[in-house]
Amino acid sequence: MKRHCSALAPLVSASCLLLAGRAHAATGKDWGRPTDISLDGWRSDQLFNITTVSVTILFLIMCGIILWALAKHRAGSHAHYEHGIGRSHLLFTAVVSSIIFFGVDGTLLVNAFEDIHAAYWNYPTAAENPLTVEVMAQQWAWAIRYPGPDGKFNTADDIVTLNDLHVPVNKPVYIKLRSKDVIHSFYLPNFRVKRDAMPGTTTDMWFQATETGAAEIGCAQHCGVNHYKMRGVLTIQSQADYDTWYKAAVADARLRNDMSDKESQWGWDWESK
Amino acid sequence: MSTHDEAHDSHGGGEHEEQHIHPEPTSFIRKYVFSTDHKVIAKQFIWLGLCWLAIGGTMAMMIRWQLANPGKPFPILGGLVFGASGGVVSPASYTSLFTMHGTIMIFFAITPIMIGGFGNFCIPLMIGARDMIFPLLNALSFWFMVLSSCVLVGSFFVPMGAAAAGWTNYPPLSVNIGTPGLGQTMWVLGIFLAGTSTIMGAINYITTVIRLRAPGMGYFKMPLTVWGLWLTAILNALFVPVLGSALILQFMDRVLGTHFFVAGAFVKGGGDPLLYQHLFWIFGHPEVYILILPAWGVISDLIPFFARKPAYGYKLSVFAMSMVCVLSALVYGHHMFTTSMSPLLGQGFMVLTMIISVPAEILFLNWLHTMWHGAIRTPPPMMFALGVVFVFGLGGLTGLYLATISTDLYLHDTYFVVGHFHLTMAAAVFLGSFASIYFWFPKMFGRQMNMGLAKLHFWLSFIPINVVFCIMLAVGLGGMQRRLYDPSVYTTFQSLQSLNVWISRFAYLLFFGQVFFVYNFVYSIFRGEKASENPWEVGTLEWTIPSPPPHHNYDKIPLVVTGPHEFNNPAVLKATGRDWIAQDVPIPGDLPAESQSA
Repeated sequence: MKRHCSALAPLVSASCLLLAGRAHAATGKDWGRPTDISLDGWRSDQLFNITTVSVTILFLIMCGIILWALAKHRAGSHAHYEHGIGRSHLLFTAVVSSIIFFGVDGTLLVNAFEDIHAAYWNYPTAAENPLTVEVMAQQWAWAIRYPGPDGKFNTADDIVTLNDLHVPVNKPVYIKLRSKDVIHSFYLPNFRVKRDAMPGTTTDMWFQATETGAAEIGCAQHCGVNHYKMRGVLTIQSQADYDTWYKAAVADARLRNDMSDKESQWGWDWESK
Repeated sequence: MSTHDEAHDSHGGGEHEEQHIHPEPTSFIRKYVFSTDHKVIAKQFIWLGLCWLAIGGTMAMMIRWQLANPGKPFPILGGLVFGASGGVVSPASYTSLFTMHGTIMIFFAITPIMIGGFGNFCIPLMIGARDMIFPLLNALSFWFMVLSSCVLVGSFFVPMGAAAAGWTNYPPLSVNIGTPGLGQTMWVLGIFLAGTSTIMGAINYITTVIRLRAPGMGYFKMPLTVWGLWLTAILNALFVPVLGSALILQFMDRVLGTHFFVAGAFVKGGGDPLLYQHLFWIFGHPEVYILILPAWGVISDLIPFFARKPAYGYKLSVFAMSMVCVLSALVYGHHMFTTSMSPLLGQGFMVLTMIISVPAEILFLNWLHTMWHGAIRTPPPMMFALGVVFVFGLGGLTGLYLATISTDLYLHDTYFVVGHFHLTMAAAVFLGSFASIYFWFPKMFGRQMNMGLAKLHFWLSFIPINVVFCIMLAVGLGGMQRRLYDPSVYTTFQSLQSLNVWISRFAYLLFFGQVFFVYNFVYSIFRGEKASENPWEVGTLEWTIPSPPPHHNYDKIPLVVTGPHEFNNPAVLKATGRDWIAQDVPIPGDLPAESQSA
């Protein structure tokens, strides 16, 4: 079912933040945010909504004052002669700025700091037994490597796929990214995260899915003519389905991996930087 | 008339340069082409900037056409520009288009119009000087911009076409691995030359403001336009050289085979692509303030001018603009949150970025306070100035989402960013440029523009520009990345297509709405109604001399005794019956300037 929003578009201009941020966020269809299927996506969404409410209020107040002044203090009315440099004026400006800074910016800072420590930079430890995956980005595809049964990367039992990432639901997935050529950015719209993949450096990201199904992997960093085609698919399966896929993939890997082909051994030791 | 100025005889200021009156050149070439007159150079910069604005705008139309009608030939120009692909924008052309659109608008449209044009025109006139302190350097600055424009134009016609690595030009995409064409090298060269031109202008502006202020023109008597332009010049002088250094290294990577920014499978060892991002954004973040500060300064003057009230909290506005300059140097890391920078560093950059909202709030409060209890006139320059307040309000507030790491990790490199930065530095500067053009046009050309057409132009700019960039915010919220040739590749974003189509429709409206400006501008230069000396009834120095001003601006260097926004001063009203007073006229009842300085 596809809803057309053409008639709404002009309205959006006036209040797009509020409309798009609130009314359509929940549906995950049409033109709101894509459905959140992640453990930590609510952090971004909730903070987005808080920001939207705050900035909408501030913006409406600002527009209200401008319109009021335009209506009430028109040419010909008596203009006050004031420079606004008295102590009370300074105090007023200081108080209003402080309320906005500590109220709005402060809220965002406190919440974002918590998110950083609780989620975005809080990588899963070995004890949490995350699924570890290495991703080598290149123009214009994502090469994906699982360590295989031996738990080590760059060995004969590695599962290697192209643009096809399978993960079990409700399990942390820890990804390390590198790039072969230019900078790319591994982007999961349904998980509200992205991380750059750079040549010469390894970057980390992690996520955890809460629903099974398919989602898209995008490249968010302009990486050349076919940047727009650099799309991968993330398949989220129940543990049982994932295990079935994994078993078949491992069997396939043992047949396909050719250890004499150095070029295909692009993986790296998980701990190395 | 004495050929010496009287500056050194008068009291009220510190030390002043002696400024001779030079006879106006008579040959066409000296007068209109290789002129050293700041007013002529200002017009040259504005013409150059407007031409580039039209080219950059046409490119935006091509981008929007492709997004709304993928795979359909671009009307009229298509066959000429995209002949090889049958008039259709090809993926390769598309990457060049968005790269050159950004480059052109930033370095060749906004910079020449606001900084080169109005910086040149306003600074000497508003501080009571006869010209820039280094007139020849000023001319050189313009001709470097012409040279760099030629290099940029030429880059479209070399094999493999113009640059295509995005205006941010991130390596390794921007080195030979990603973009081997000559066009990309010419881009580096062109921007380097444009930067050279900017630095020449910056040094000139900084020195002129320090050395050539008329006697009595203390720093806190300067119009806020001059403050905005002066702070811009300081940022330019400090940070454009950083871009220059990055470009030199990149040039060496491209031409000499060095590996400063290259790493990955194609090189042994190699350098660090991230180093470029640091260098680029150390320049790049101040750059966005470089682009907006002149507009802030202009509207900080226009609002009191047309609200007929003194600028509210003048010194606080100056303080706020200066604070923004300092902070702009300390926040660049927020462009790099997704590069996996240390969370501690990320938090630091986030706090510093948020602090910028304080001076921004001060400026907004001052603008609103200035209007409050005014007697507001709303001719086109004021309409455009209020338009700037509106779009910059939207743009500034949407910056909060991108300064917050939690939301930025999702929104980074999506259309939300595109909407945000266009509202701040495109829409705000676009409207600010027109506010400046409509306001100073009578002084520049001695004629008035048609006010009815100007109002029509305002509504045809203000409404579509807001619709376009606000829908972009919504598309970004939907998750769509920037710089996608065909977003329908992603099923997630297919439902956003109707929004993309609407963005394009309003973008076309915005583009064609400019016809009314072009007609009005060209017609008024030749046929406009003759302008009086002071059509807006304001007090800054440029309005005390004829329109257009004589070659040497001031027959006698004025002695400044009054602030720039002394509107509705009761003493002035009582003595003259006017609600304004020129900066070189003492407020009735005040002590004469001689005894003040004693």
